[in-house]
Amino acid sequence: MESPALEGFDLEGEGSKLRQIFVDSWRARDLVIMLSRKDFFVRYRRASFGLLWAVGLPAFQALVLAVVFSRLIRFETSVPYGVFVFAGITPWSYFNSSISSAATSIVDGQSLATKVYFPRAILPFVVIGANFIAFLPAVAVLVAFALVSGVSIGWNIFLLIPATLVLLMLTAAFSLVLSAAHVYFRDVRYVVAAALIAWMYATPVIYPIDKMHGVIRTVIQLNPATGMVELFREAVGVHDPGWAAALPWTFVWMGGLLVIAAVLHRRFDRVFVDLL
Amino acid sequence: MSAAHGSTAHVELVNVGKRYTKYDDAPMLLTRALKFRPGTKRTKRWAIRGVDLKVDPGETVGVIGRNGSGKSTMLRMLAGVTAPTEGRVSVRGRIAPLISVGVGFHPELTGRENIYVNGSLLGMTRAEVNERADSIIDFAEIPEFIDTPVKFYSSGMFVRLGFAVAVAADPNILLVDEVLSVGDIGFQIKSFDRMRQMKANGTTILVVSHNLNAIRNLCERVLVVHDGEPMFLGGTDEAISVYHDLLDRSAALESGQADGRSPVEIQHVDLVGEDGKSSAHLGAGEAASLEATVKFNAAVDKPAFSVIIVTEAGVPVYIDSTYLTRTRSFAAGETATCRIRFPAKLTTGSYTVRLGILWDEKNKRTVNSRPILFYVSGRPLVTGVTDLQADFEIDAAV
Repeated sequence: MESPALEGFDLEGEGSKLRQIFVDSWRARDLVIMLSRKDFFVRYRRASFGLLWAVGLPAFQALVLAVVFSRLIRFETSVPYGVFVFAGITPWSYFNSSISSAATSIVDGQSLATKVYFPRAILPFVVIGANFIAFLPAVAVLVAFALVSGVSIGWNIFLLIPATLVLLMLTAAFSLVLSAAHVYFRDVRYVVAAALIAWMYATPVIYPIDKMHGVIRTVIQLNPATGMVELFREAVGVHDPGWAAALPWTFVWMGGLLVIAAVLHRRFDRVFVDLL
Repeated sequence: MSAAHGSTAHVELVNVGKRYTKYDDAPMLLTRALKFRPGTKRTKRWAIRGVDLKVDPGETVGVIGRNGSGKSTMLRMLAGVTAPTEGRVSVRGRIAPLISVGVGFHPELTGRENIYVNGSLLGMTRAEVNERADSIIDFAEIPEFIDTPVKFYSSGMFVRLGFAVAVAADPNILLVDEVLSVGDIGFQIKSFDRMRQMKANGTTILVVSHNLNAIRNLCERVLVVHDGEPMFLGGTDEAISVYHDLLDRSAALESGQADGRSPVEIQHVDLVGEDGKSSAHLGAGEAASLEATVKFNAAVDKPAFSVIIVTEAGVPVYIDSTYLTRTRSFAAGETATCRIRFPAKLTTGSYTVRLGILWDEKNKRTVNSRPILFYVSGRPLVTGVTDLQADFEIDAAV
């Protein structure tokens, strides 16, 4: 055996040590990857177009929004409107679908959680991971679409790395808090579903922040999703002046939520199961 | 691989208690936030309390108790699934819970894919699973179906694969639940042998079950829990009798006391073994007898005495009576002693026996004694309900 030290655990009181949760989560990384792949492949296994749906749906959503809004309201954007919407909808739909399924992930994972121990925090990460597998080809399609539409991307493309990190971190921060809250308050999932509907319109997905003014602009800037979506958009060469002021707020939210997540999981990690 | 590492693996519970909070109504965000009500109704209940148990390296310990006695809560704490409210649980060594094997098997995934998912749930790394995949498939005896989605598996195949993955995790500590009673007899023997082998290699084993057969065959020491409290910790046979007394007492309570003014009163009833002593533990085929003292408060015309033996699950094994052969009547105030002899030709398990007396034939009025619970240590590997003690003659030239 590689490790001479015996595995094992000591339980004293209901709370856990944060450090221990990190250690156990890191040990469970194989499990997260395994479960994410399982979730992803099972989702598309029975569909005849299989994985194509993973890319097809966001592209279709972008198409519909682009067609509808270019007829209804004309937003002036620096690039073709279709590219603008597609660049916004790609990170948003990842965020949207991850958060709504991650919120219920601990409760949904009860068949596993009641039988074996692993840090419950990895359950939302399984959702985040499974969606990420679908996210990567969607980004590739987006970049290809932008290039074909005549957008010049250049060195900006490297912004994709921090943009993706911000997207993942913000998604994780919300998911960790919501999944814990949903164990105790089972209406969290509906609150989340309702909030996400409004949230998309409070985020510059289909419109440029540049064209918003006054209180509305302030609200949009305070919205943590704004910086996340716009940083991503910047990475594929779509400029929306005035977005940078929103980015610090994204980090403020992220930090605050991660602290709350740490408090919740530290207190309840081992006893979530009592309410499942 | 498994020879030496079990030597220091152990489990210790120090004054462990677990309290559950039961919400009578689900807490809701709105009611909480708007304070429609002062608070949600909740009741707190100790599922188990005051447990001290130390399982030494390589030892096999059983935990028995009725449903709701707190033994599954104990099992959950040992698996690390939930934390104790008070006290300390410490586990040293890799622990593999055999609690419902095949946890996390996904019906759409193939057997092979499920081995990886399940293996990592049990703490194996990808490399370890790679290394052991062949022996798992081999042990589960399903090489031809391994690349088929498990939804097409029979329940037997499912269980075999689950068990194979769990034992392949090569745990230092094995937590065994009711899994021993699943699968076909061939696989049962195989998995039992595997556990014996693990035990011999120094694996610490905890069996939490009411399958007394498994307990008796594997454990050196047994903890009896009752109503959330440890009741007895000691040798296996003694623990099983304690457990039976317990079941017996609660059965007596449930059946209610005999109605005082009944014309027929069963004053005393007892199950006696071959040695003539009261016993709740019979050997295979042992000559047992049910002895009773019956008092007749009124004159009864030709009552019929009967004996009823049922399994733990309530299946009747044997019902017989003097209905067709009765001749004797009893006068008021008379006391009768009766002895009903029968050989305990039964398989391993728990049974109850009781005496019934039909005293008013017209109105079909009967008096029953309290059921007496007894345990039969049957012949090894004989299953079913009765042990007919067949004689096998196998010869090439018929």
